[in-house]
Amino acid sequence: MTTQTDAPLTAAINTEDLQRLVEFAQLVTSAQDAMSDDIVTRLARVMNEGITLLDRLTRNEGLMTLLRVLDQPESQRLLVGLAEALRVTSRDIAVTAPANGGLIDLLRGVFHPGTQEGIRLLSLLGQHLNNSLREQHRRGS
Amino acid sequence: MRILVVGGGTAGTIVANNLARRLSAETRSGKVRITMLSASDRHMYQPGLLYVAFGQMTPDQLYRDQASLLEASIDFHVDPVKQFQLDQKKVLTEAGKVHEYDILVIATGSRMVPEETPGLNEGAEFFYTEASAVKMYKRLREFKGGKVAVAVGVPHKCPIAPVEVMFALHDFFKARGIRDKVQMKYYYPIGRIHTIENVAIWAKPEFDRLGIEYETLFNIKEVDAKNKILKSEEGVDVEYDLLIVIPAHRGMEVIERDNLGQGGWIPTNRHSLTMNGHDNVYVVGDTTNLPVSKTGSAAHFQAEVISENIASIIKVGEPVRDYDGKVYCFIEAGHDRATYAMFNYQNPPDLKPPSKPMHWFKVAYNQMYWTSVRGLL
Repeated sequence: MTTQTDAPLTAAINTEDLQRLVEFAQLVTSAQDAMSDDIVTRLARVMNEGITLLDRLTRNEGLMTLLRVLDQPESQRLLVGLAEALRVTSRDIAVTAPANGGLIDLLRGVFHPGTQEGIRLLSLLGQHLNNSLREQHRRGS
Repeated sequence: MRILVVGGGTAGTIVANNLARRLSAETRSGKVRITMLSASDRHMYQPGLLYVAFGQMTPDQLYRDQASLLEASIDFHVDPVKQFQLDQKKVLTEAGKVHEYDILVIATGSRMVPEETPGLNEGAEFFYTEASAVKMYKRLREFKGGKVAVAVGVPHKCPIAPVEVMFALHDFFKARGIRDKVQMKYYYPIGRIHTIENVAIWAKPEFDRLGIEYETLFNIKEVDAKNKILKSEEGVDVEYDLLIVIPAHRGMEVIERDNLGQGGWIPTNRHSLTMNGHDNVYVVGDTTNLPVSKTGSAAHFQAEVISENIASIIKVGEPVRDYDGKVYCFIEAGHDRATYAMFNYQNPPDLKPPSKPMHWFKVAYNQMYWTSVRGLL
């Protein structure tokens, strides 16, 4: 005989919710049975090392500054440019003849406009790096 | 401001790391200097010794390089303290160096002293050092059956260890198929089977269920190793085939030598954790004489209070927290089940039925400990 208090339970059975609960319980039981102390140890070790690594990375002032800079649009263009340069350089180097050595070859390279622009880019980077390091030392940080 | 942390165990390491994090700007600018003096360049996960004694861990799994656990701003020296000169705010080390301080944190820990009980070293097995835990495992491996006596000295580190040993022994002998050939009996020094009443209430039916016998009001007097007899102060003689003892502990020798505290336990304010009569000296972990368990968790909770208070004193001139006596102990209950006891000065523990997820939590914590001492958890 169905009473008023039985009604919600009956409804749950009818709507297959109870079946889903049973399936969920079976899933948890099966996960428990499959788990071993070794698995838990390995998972915990990975988590432990992961948290430690993340902590070190997020408290590394230099790395955080680099991430902030890389987040800016012009820096992203630089990254795209760097990625493209890596791709083309890798392709070009494969088909470029080995250097002969000597001053003549060196001078021939220097007269090339691309080489001059490359040196100028590296020089600019060097100047800014130098200025930043000098400023940090001056501030005592 | 010179902060000197003496001791590189759980308590000292957490205090130093928490301070280094809280005072990172001050240490970078040179306003604060944190120095740690330790007796060893290695850090041991001490609760793991019980696992070593039962072949569930190897000793190498218990250690990490101490320097790798410390914040880079901490000035770390392997050079134990030889003498405390609190009136002059300095300590002398074994290497002959002098370290002056403005704030001192004493975290020198405790040690077992089986040599103080006649015959104990010769006749009993322990697991409170690496060598003794390995020796106990070898002894257990060769044990074929007979009477196993487990006796408890006071005071001792990790109050839950005695009951955990019983459950672990039961599992070990059962797994080897000799449980029916082993008679296990537990001897405890007070009038119930555990110092914490609710743990005693919980453990008693568990012992009964597993066929573990027990005798209370049994204080170890001496061991006749030759004839395999354990004698109590109460005049009871117990014959055994295998004797496992939780030995009595003391604080470190330097604490007793310098008259900082009887038995090596320093009189400590139960809330501020400062040494009585010395507001600039903090005591943490096993070294205190507080009426709480000598466990890693107590050390952890105390270390957090101390580091927060020292940091706030430096930043705003006043401490901000009191220690409430909090302790959290996992209890491995055998059959891959565990429970826990959490309590403080005001509230006794309320033990839940053991479960497998709690056992996994303990297994996971064996790894998470390293995150914890770094001051991350």
